[in-house]
Amino acid sequence: MAEHTVASFDEDLRQISRLINDMGDLAGSMVGGSTRALLESDNALAQRVVSDDAIMDARQRELDDRAITLIAKRQPMADDLRNVVGSIRMAGDLERIGDLAKNIAKRVGSVGVAAAPRDLTHSIDSMAQMVLIQVQGVIQEYMVGDASALAKLRNDDERIDVKYTSVFRELLTYMMEDPRNITACTHLLFCAKNLERIGDHVTNIAENAYYVLTGTQLPANRPKQDETAMSATAV
Amino acid sequence: MLSTDLNTPDTIVEKAKIEVKNLNFYYGQSKALKDINLSLPERSVTAFIGPSGCGKSTLLRVLNRIYELYPKQTAEGQVLLDGKNILDRSQDLNLLRTKIGMVFQKPTPFPMSIYENIAFGVRLYEKISKAEMDNRVEQALKRAALWSEVKDKLNASGLSLSGGQQQRLCIARTVAVKPEVILLDEPASALDPLSTAKIEELIDELQADYTIVIVTHNMQQAARVSRQTAFMYLGELVEFDRTEKIFTSPREKRTQDYITGRFG
Amino acid sequence: MSVAMSLHQRRKRKNGVMMALCVIAAGIGLAWLALILGALIYKGVSGISPSVFTEMTPPPGDAGGLLNAIYGSIVMTVIGIVVGTPIGVLAGTYMAEYGRFSKLTTVVRFINDILLSAPSIIIGLFVYELMVRPMGHFSAIAGAVALSILVIPVVVRTTEDMLNLVPNALREAGTAIGAPRWVVIRSVAYRAALSGMVTGILLAIARISGETAPLLFTALNNQFWSSNLNAPMASLPVTIFQFALSPYEEWQQLAWTGALIITLTVLGLSVIARSLTGRREDR
Repeated sequence: MAEHTVASFDEDLRQISRLINDMGDLAGSMVGGSTRALLESDNALAQRVVSDDAIMDARQRELDDRAITLIAKRQPMADDLRNVVGSIRMAGDLERIGDLAKNIAKRVGSVGVAAAPRDLTHSIDSMAQMVLIQVQGVIQEYMVGDASALAKLRNDDERIDVKYTSVFRELLTYMMEDPRNITACTHLLFCAKNLERIGDHVTNIAENAYYVLTGTQLPANRPKQDETAMSATAV
Repeated sequence: MLSTDLNTPDTIVEKAKIEVKNLNFYYGQSKALKDINLSLPERSVTAFIGPSGCGKSTLLRVLNRIYELYPKQTAEGQVLLDGKNILDRSQDLNLLRTKIGMVFQKPTPFPMSIYENIAFGVRLYEKISKAEMDNRVEQALKRAALWSEVKDKLNASGLSLSGGQQQRLCIARTVAVKPEVILLDEPASALDPLSTAKIEELIDELQADYTIVIVTHNMQQAARVSRQTAFMYLGELVEFDRTEKIFTSPREKRTQDYITGRFG
Repeated sequence: MSVAMSLHQRRKRKNGVMMALCVIAAGIGLAWLALILGALIYKGVSGISPSVFTEMTPPPGDAGGLLNAIYGSIVMTVIGIVVGTPIGVLAGTYMAEYGRFSKLTTVVRFINDILLSAPSIIIGLFVYELMVRPMGHFSAIAGAVALSILVIPVVVRTTEDMLNLVPNALREAGTAIGAPRWVVIRSVAYRAALSGMVTGILLAIARISGETAPLLFTALNNQFWSSNLNAPMASLPVTIFQFALSPYEEWQQLAWTGALIITLTVLGLSVIARSLTGRREDR
């Protein structure tokens, strides 16, 4: 892609790009860190994740400022315009991912080590891995410019939804088995929900990134396989 | 209704006021316009954009055949106004120009009073009474958003107005002869931002009644005022589409490079 | 940036020297003008009296005036202008408008420039051959024709130059509104160039009012009152020529007075011409 005649325009765009990259990295580390802290009951790690959220917020505000200034100063058109507007949206989603990871980290103390049985840890861990791969993948593919990979990644969100449904059912089962599990399992429920929400935000990012790269929107019907709202009191 | 023709805007279904077919234009031996095919919808604004020397002004000046004033400038091909080819030898040039008016980059009021400036064009082809002429002048000046500023000094020289007012006078003069098409060759490039905004507002209002073609090197202006935009480069028509499409996701890389400032 | 002072000083000195030279040259030019005007006024003013404008040129030794000479000059100048101006304007219009891009224009312009600086005595001889000899006698009309030939190149030049100054955009604007060529020229180009063209005509008048040589062979001179175009007619320049070379004091005095009258007239016309141009430039 050719450079702009006015070089400082390219520099402005690069700085926004760098911020998205950093926020993506941070999101990945927060999601990974919070789930590890949850599963290993690591309070110190959980604390770090919580404090990382402040950095994430600051980055998002900085990106907003830079993007608005760029629009005022440069009157970007076509791909530059999509780039800047897309970056604003993606930063918003990344910031929410940070918030959700922070929420997971905050519940670490309440869950405790003993309460979580091996199988459950395994399920949540595998769900968390899926989400982490998505989070890391989406920014990577945007930076590289791989639009088709982004489309695929968006559709892969349904696997996370399916996984969430099964984790939800597992937790219900444990709660029904032994009422002493209820507190811990409720917290775990929220954590699982947060992971699922992170997956949805990744989908948003993928859709925005796809629009930035190609100029067309992905079809509106996002596959959604979360059946938890529909499951009645299943046994 | 999507069109398969690369040069017809996708969702435009309106009637074409002017159709350019296989137009080639020569300055002496050198070819300035290469096989242009274009369809300009009626009652809307079309913008021609492109870098210097791309041929946008040349193309505009073919539409009212004003290039005929100069030797060694020739056009080949067809330009159909409501289906009739205006490049034909038999076309009466003076009558053509009553249908297709033109406003130039530098404001060019005639060395006459403001009233006379407007009456001059009308008088050439119509015999009307003084009262009707007064009315005509007033209507034209109102249309150009100039009436309130000059109504008390209609006998003052046209040259005594400010640049922005002079340009609006030129627009009033063009509108007074009741053309069907108005050609604007960088009408605001010599004006300050406030006058420019007034001209843009004028264009917005005029497009309800006239087919307007504007050449501008200010892309943001093209984006603001036009419904469809043609991007030209080195005498060729590179892309022609709805303005919003051209400026958010153009098809051609050359178009994108130009509007984002990546040219050269 | 470090300024090499010696370079700077040298340049300043050179600048000062050149300025001084220019001022001196201007002063010399002005000094001559002042001397001439001074001599004219000094010698001529004493002769100014109503009789100069009411009495005919006298025989040697008698008192008199310059009435017939003044009248003759006016008549021949007016005819010269009336004949020469339309030809000049139309030719200039052709060159600037219709024939702007044609080869003929280049040729005509070249010839016109030659005529412009042709010695007026040659014009006089030409008209002598053309009119005086076939007619068999000198006449005022021949004189007027000679003057008109002098007027034409001046008017052609200024008309063409002034019309060329009219911006093309203005012509295009006139054309774009549907006006035919001639209407554009008449209503737009002429109007825009008007003050310039009038200036040209005034300058032509100023030029021919002082011409002596062409009149010598055409209108000759006439001691008496004559309003007959077909006969020799008196004119100020020729009268001055005749009187100045004579040994008679009254005649010499009238010559000075006549010279002063011509000078003041030409000065007046130039001032008017300049003020018209000035007004145009103000806009």
